[in-house]
Amino acid sequence: MLVLAGIFAPLIAPYNPIVPSGIPFTPPLTGGHLMGTDEIGFDIFSRVLYGLRTSLVGAVVVVTSGVVIGGTVGLVAGVVGGWVDTVLMRITDLFLALPGPVLAIAFVAALGPSEFHTLLAVAIVWWPFYARIMRGEIRALAARPHLEAARLAGAGPYRRAFRHLLPGAVPAIVVTASLDVGNLVLTLAGLSFLGLGAPAPAPELGAMAARGLQFLLQEWWVPVMPALVVFLLTMASNLSGDGLNNAMSDK
Amino acid sequence: MIKFAAKRFVSMVLILLVLTAIVFLLQKLSNVNPAHAYLGANASQAAIRHETHVLGYDQPVLTQYVHYVRNLLDGNLGVSLRTRHPVATDLGVFLPATVELAVTALVLAVLLGATFGLVSAARFRGAGAFRTLLLALASAPVFLLALLMILWISGDLHLLPGTGDTGYTNAPTGPTGMIVIDGLLHGQPAIAWDGVRHLIMPAIVVALGPAVSIGRVLRGSLEASMSSEFARTARAKGLKERTVVLRHALRNSTSAALSMTGLQVGLMFAGVVVVETIFAWPGIGLYVDQSIPQADFPAIAGVTLVLGVGYVVINTIVDILQAVVDPRVTLE
Repeated sequence: MLVLAGIFAPLIAPYNPIVPSGIPFTPPLTGGHLMGTDEIGFDIFSRVLYGLRTSLVGAVVVVTSGVVIGGTVGLVAGVVGGWVDTVLMRITDLFLALPGPVLAIAFVAALGPSEFHTLLAVAIVWWPFYARIMRGEIRALAARPHLEAARLAGAGPYRRAFRHLLPGAVPAIVVTASLDVGNLVLTLAGLSFLGLGAPAPAPELGAMAARGLQFLLQEWWVPVMPALVVFLLTMASNLSGDGLNNAMSDK
Repeated sequence: MIKFAAKRFVSMVLILLVLTAIVFLLQKLSNVNPAHAYLGANASQAAIRHETHVLGYDQPVLTQYVHYVRNLLDGNLGVSLRTRHPVATDLGVFLPATVELAVTALVLAVLLGATFGLVSAARFRGAGAFRTLLLALASAPVFLLALLMILWISGDLHLLPGTGDTGYTNAPTGPTGMIVIDGLLHGQPAIAWDGVRHLIMPAIVVALGPAVSIGRVLRGSLEASMSSEFARTARAKGLKERTVVLRHALRNSTSAALSMTGLQVGLMFAGVVVVETIFAWPGIGLYVDQSIPQADFPAIAGVTLVLGVGYVVINTIVDILQAVVDPRVTLE
């Protein structure tokens, strides 16, 4: 539902998110504004829909890049073994030993705030988890009899990696990734809250909550509505991640 | 044991060197010319060139890095472009409030996490609902929790103050900089109590997320050890269920929960920055939030280093603690 709402935001949104459409500070459910309007008169419901889209796209992009980069590193380390494995995993451990979210803040601050830099920064600190998981899976699979059989049948290292090892490791990675989307939505919203996303008036959920903060006690809906949507999005991702996890482990 | 601790210590130093290298490279990447920033916007080209030479920015990068680390060890973190004070001095002003908040939140997170873990591992009616509630808590962004708490608890109910760390304008500023402790040291319990009241909401907001994660890990390993053979033996001995859980299962389950606690500290630091902004808590989070719009990179780098060092040191301590609790760890 929320994914659909995000995808079809331009169709559903009753107003343009960055053109004032009513009197500032219209309370929710009045004057044709489902979630009210903010201090400029922007329709919050429309902005929240677009923000949802940005959040979802961001989380999916980072998870995908994490899976691809981390997965490749883990696959190479697990398949090749030896000193390559040692070097790659030492680098991974180094990254894991540093506080990712804090580094991401510094990274974006150094490059200058923008949506692209935020995604880049989070992607850079996010892949090591996937490298660890992928390598663990590959090593466990490599010890199984069917790999022995493949080797005896004369399958080369590439064939072994892509035909025999990778498919076995995919389920674990998919489950981890689906459970991770919620975390990413929260992390990205946090960075956006600190002003590290796209500049105003772009509709980003975290930034909307941050800018609405000063109106909290009088016009509570301005900061609370976007925050509530972040919550719903994360909750939905976590529930579907849990569901997928259960479905996979039942098999 | 001592060998393990020494090994962890060496890798901690290595990790810290990498951390400084990353921050150093970011500083290079940011398009702020430190000499130019140091002299101000109206400096002449010649003056900038001279200052660049004096500050050593025309040296090879590696020399600059060595110079940078040596400066860090001397406590020289550069000059903030916004406040025009040395960053180290600024951090000295803002850090105590953050330490006060973070330590309180960490203790709360561990206590709450242990409670969540024990309660949700126990089989009782409503356990499913309790787990859903925990999942909801873990899904809420810190700023939503903070906003709702301010709205209800200080807005509607007027129970607790929603901004700052003290209501007193003449609150003592030394020697620790933490209001609660300073109040007590100066023999002014009213100020200390007021500090506690200011501390409650932000600390709870920061602690909730990590507490749920710790609780989930703890529940997982508790369930594993409850169905293990030693738990069956303990039950067969006729021990009460409570004794089995608290004396036998819990001790064997702390290891995973401990390393989760260490990892959560990183997320907690990011949470602290956001929460301080909302509650106007005068710590380094507020400092960095004010530095971001001004692109004050020396200040941001200083905060990153302080939080990064805190994270690495805490995790090293957690690792060593883990080895103390569960000697099997050292064998790996």
